[in-house]
Amino acid sequence: MPSTSSSHRPRKKRKQEPTTSSSNGTVSLDPASRKEKPAFPLVAFFWPARGTSTSQWVLLPCILMTVGLFRWCTGIWPYSGFHKPPMHGDFEAQRHWMEVTTNLPITHWYFHDLQWWGLDYPPLTAYHSWLLGRIGALINPDWFALYLSHGLDDMDLKVFMRASVMVSEYFIYIPAAVICARHMAKTHHINSWESSVALTAILMQPTTILIDHGHFQYNTVMLGFVLASLSSMLAGRRLWSCVFFVGALGFKQMALFYAPAVAAYLAGACIFPRIVVFRFFGIAIVTLASFALLYLPLLLGTLRDTYRSIPLPADVILPPLLSTFPFELSEKAWYYPYLVQLAQSIHRIFPFARGLFEDKVANIWCAVHSSGLHKLNQYSSTSLSRAALGLTLISITPPCAIIFLKPKKRLTPLAFATTAWGFFMCSYQVHEKNVLLPLLPMTLLLASEGGMKAVIRAWVGYANLLGCWTIFPLLARDELRMPYFVFTLLWSYLMGLPPCSLSAYSSTAEGSGLHWTTKIVHLATYAAVLAWHCVEFFVPPPSNKPDLWVVANVCIGAAGFGMCYLWCLWTFLDESGLLIDLGLVESPKAEPGKKKQ
Amino acid sequence: MAEIYPTLPQCAAVATALKVLLWPAYHSTDFEVHRNWIAITNSLPLREWYYETTSEWTLDYPPSFAYFELLLSQVARFVDPKMLEIHHLGYDSWQTIYFQRATVMVSELVLIYALYLFVQSSPPSSKKQSHAAAVSILLSPGLLIIDHIHFQYNGFLYGVLILSIVLARKESGLLASGVLFATLLCFKHIYLYLAPAYFVYLLRAYCLGPRSIFDIKMINCVKLAAGIGIVAAIAFGPFVYYEQIPQVLSRLFPFSRGLCHAYWAPNVWAMYSFTDRVLILFAPYLKLPVNSEAVNSVTRGLVGDTSFAVLPNITPRMTFILTLSAQVPALIKLFLTPTWHTFISTLTLCGYASFLFGWHVHEKAILLVIIPFSLLALKDRRYLGAFRPLAVAGHVSLFPLLFTAMEFPVKVVYTILWLIVMLMVFDRVAPASEKARVFLLDRFSLLYIAVAIPLIAYCSLLHQMVFGAKYEFLPLMFISSYSALGVVGSWVGFLVVFFTS
Repeated sequence: MPSTSSSHRPRKKRKQEPTTSSSNGTVSLDPASRKEKPAFPLVAFFWPARGTSTSQWVLLPCILMTVGLFRWCTGIWPYSGFHKPPMHGDFEAQRHWMEVTTNLPITHWYFHDLQWWGLDYPPLTAYHSWLLGRIGALINPDWFALYLSHGLDDMDLKVFMRASVMVSEYFIYIPAAVICARHMAKTHHINSWESSVALTAILMQPTTILIDHGHFQYNTVMLGFVLASLSSMLAGRRLWSCVFFVGALGFKQMALFYAPAVAAYLAGACIFPRIVVFRFFGIAIVTLASFALLYLPLLLGTLRDTYRSIPLPADVILPPLLSTFPFELSEKAWYYPYLVQLAQSIHRIFPFARGLFEDKVANIWCAVHSSGLHKLNQYSSTSLSRAALGLTLISITPPCAIIFLKPKKRLTPLAFATTAWGFFMCSYQVHEKNVLLPLLPMTLLLASEGGMKAVIRAWVGYANLLGCWTIFPLLARDELRMPYFVFTLLWSYLMGLPPCSLSAYSSTAEGSGLHWTTKIVHLATYAAVLAWHCVEFFVPPPSNKPDLWVVANVCIGAAGFGMCYLWCLWTFLDESGLLIDLGLVESPKAEPGKKKQ
Repeated sequence: MAEIYPTLPQCAAVATALKVLLWPAYHSTDFEVHRNWIAITNSLPLREWYYETTSEWTLDYPPSFAYFELLLSQVARFVDPKMLEIHHLGYDSWQTIYFQRATVMVSELVLIYALYLFVQSSPPSSKKQSHAAAVSILLSPGLLIIDHIHFQYNGFLYGVLILSIVLARKESGLLASGVLFATLLCFKHIYLYLAPAYFVYLLRAYCLGPRSIFDIKMINCVKLAAGIGIVAAIAFGPFVYYEQIPQVLSRLFPFSRGLCHAYWAPNVWAMYSFTDRVLILFAPYLKLPVNSEAVNSVTRGLVGDTSFAVLPNITPRMTFILTLSAQVPALIKLFLTPTWHTFISTLTLCGYASFLFGWHVHEKAILLVIIPFSLLALKDRRYLGAFRPLAVAGHVSLFPLLFTAMEFPVKVVYTILWLIVMLMVFDRVAPASEKARVFLLDRFSLLYIAVAIPLIAYCSLLHQMVFGAKYEFLPLMFISSYSALGVVGSWVGFLVVFFTS
């Protein structure tokens, strides 16, 4: 069939017009040829999509498929507690919660055996476990058989559990991240191409992938709610941000790290520039309603169980919280069972009786204690927790005060990051995995104005790579060394950071605003990390100090994180314009690296 | 010349990360096959290599590959000496897995180098197209599935093949190209299928003068013969010395196998078998004689003799004649116009012919078609039109290689991602052709590609939900018949393009 002469021409003929306006530092000029080139390898992969020729409807699915592949392939590796009786690990905890929630009446959930991974997360996690358990039981009921399924390590179960993390993440975290990146781009006037690059960098954060898909947890659900809350703030929907933040708190209590910043921002938004009482009441009512909604299924379940007179387990110990009530409670009162449930869930969620820190975590307390600088076990736990509370308050007051006085949308990620760093460094009962919380809002800075220029890229990369390194001892226990190396090297390669590249630190880097002290601190830390890996690999620790390498890791990590806190605080202060308002600073741009710990 | 982004090393770096993450993934018995060969070559003297039968996976690659395994074993002894023991059947400590997976990745550097040379050697006007083709081969889902999950060394071997093709681009490289191809044959004899194209091309372009076929260049003939002779002598010499050639050949060419592999490769015989199956249902109405013994044989998936119930049986001789006669027209054209592009086209057609009509073809052999075709697919839009259904069919047909739940998302998502990105990029960079295209084919090709998605969904999920474990041959049959349609369609399309240009 002969066709017309024009028919064999390409159907679409679009001229690729490279965008020269890069506000985000993704494009650099080759000094020799005066041609534009990608500033770091990640940008190179987006190079063919530059200009207007590639639709977001194609680009976005491709990004999501790529990051999804990396996530799923991490899942092929072992999880925490794989073949490690008697207690196994976090994988068993999550599986066990599915077993408990699907098999026991709802009033027993928070009372069931604490010793074997008792449920100690807020209700949303319990509902999530229940839903996943129900779905899983449809496939194979043996996976969640009461008591019989403890410590199960069936290969199909692994696939199901890994898939459940993926699905949860793609329902909550990923859409939230996509929308958040959009709002960031809108707030900072960044084109959608650069925003896609930033989104990919955020979604490829090594620590998040390794913890959720390697070690096994559902952190991204909580982080997704936080992102949703943040992006609602960026979009100016304060009430929705309350709802999402309660969702985050209701999934994992660790979201409390952000709570002061959220509260300060919302309070500030009601007062500055002028007092809006109506808004304040709206926020208060919506927050309370969200909490009510969060506990509603638990309370309705209690109503049902009371009605059917299902007793609590025989070995029940009533939560101590009940005895702190100012008046005598009658066990016969109609509200008594509900109070018991509420008190017990709070008792489980906040285990005040546990220690100052768990395992080895790179914060101030653990570093001070285990480095031998000052042994903390000579103090009572009350005085320690008071000290922790005091120090935490000191560390979070500046960021909260700034965001309260300057409740600007564009400042929220920095407020979140600084507050979370303060909590992570100083507060009570911190896990090494909690480093995810400060890392997320800090990494979001990549999607802000100038976010991929050398300064922010270097600092964000520093925090992420250091954060990933501090969880290395945990990953090594889970036999996840190889994925750790793959992800840290891949991410640092893509972002053009050490140990793969020094481009962000070279003097020719675009808008290289890195002060020489920053360069020295960063490069020294990277060198220390590399040296640590060599030593850890080749030299066994001395027999009387088996934790020596871990302690070294914790101390270097804590110092680096302290630096990250100070940098976030300084940048925050700088960006907020408070210094200019107070007449302390003349020039709008000051050097962030000058601060020393 | 400005760099084209992403560059090959950048793609290779990211691909490497993904491939390392796949180390603990499912691996087929080929993993044990290669471990066993490492053990055999390391612990036995050369004259026993082709007689060793402790494992059922006896050495059935040509000697150069055995030397390659011997080389690997020299490193393996430092990694985990236990993998070198012949009696450790099925040994897979994590050291062994890391080591063997790593050797696949290291040997793949040959492919990266070959692709780099391919882009370098292409003229500036087609650099962009060559770069896109090179990236598509480097990131090919076929290689990912077969090499890095299923486990084989195709990346390395195809690297050698591409290197040889690239060398043939310049007249000065023809000799090296021929010798390299001979070396490749000594590594894996499946490339014999492409040998006719090499033979004709080297004969016409190297051994005979450009003006007349009677102008025989004796020096070139001697050089080529000497080169190939040396390569063959190195590989087979020791076995000639021990008088083991018949034994080696019997290992290399086991003709006792059946027409179709356990899972039908998507070729003409898959369609033939499918027709036979369908005819069984209609035979009573059409009054056809049915061979009742054969009714249950094909679907049982046994490797062995395949017999047909209604249609006439096929003998190896018939497949051989069909293969050759499908290759001859292209070879004649190559002889008449010995250009580099015709050479690659002919290579592709030789691959097609042997894949479509060959005896006991594996589905993995589709790379023999896809990879040479990729080098050519961006010549103009007509080639691309023929390439599209092949890219879909060829890769979908590899899906049954991996049947474990964990690897299912990897193969499907990776392949879809590759198809979206590569076909989009190809569509953008392919130049308009000088001749008119047949438009209708594009519509069919689009329809064909669209059908792949419900088909994959049915075969991987719906079938099991509806029928459970019953009729388990159905999904396989659908996939291979569907893919066969695509491969045959793209073959016809390519034939049209080849003979009209």
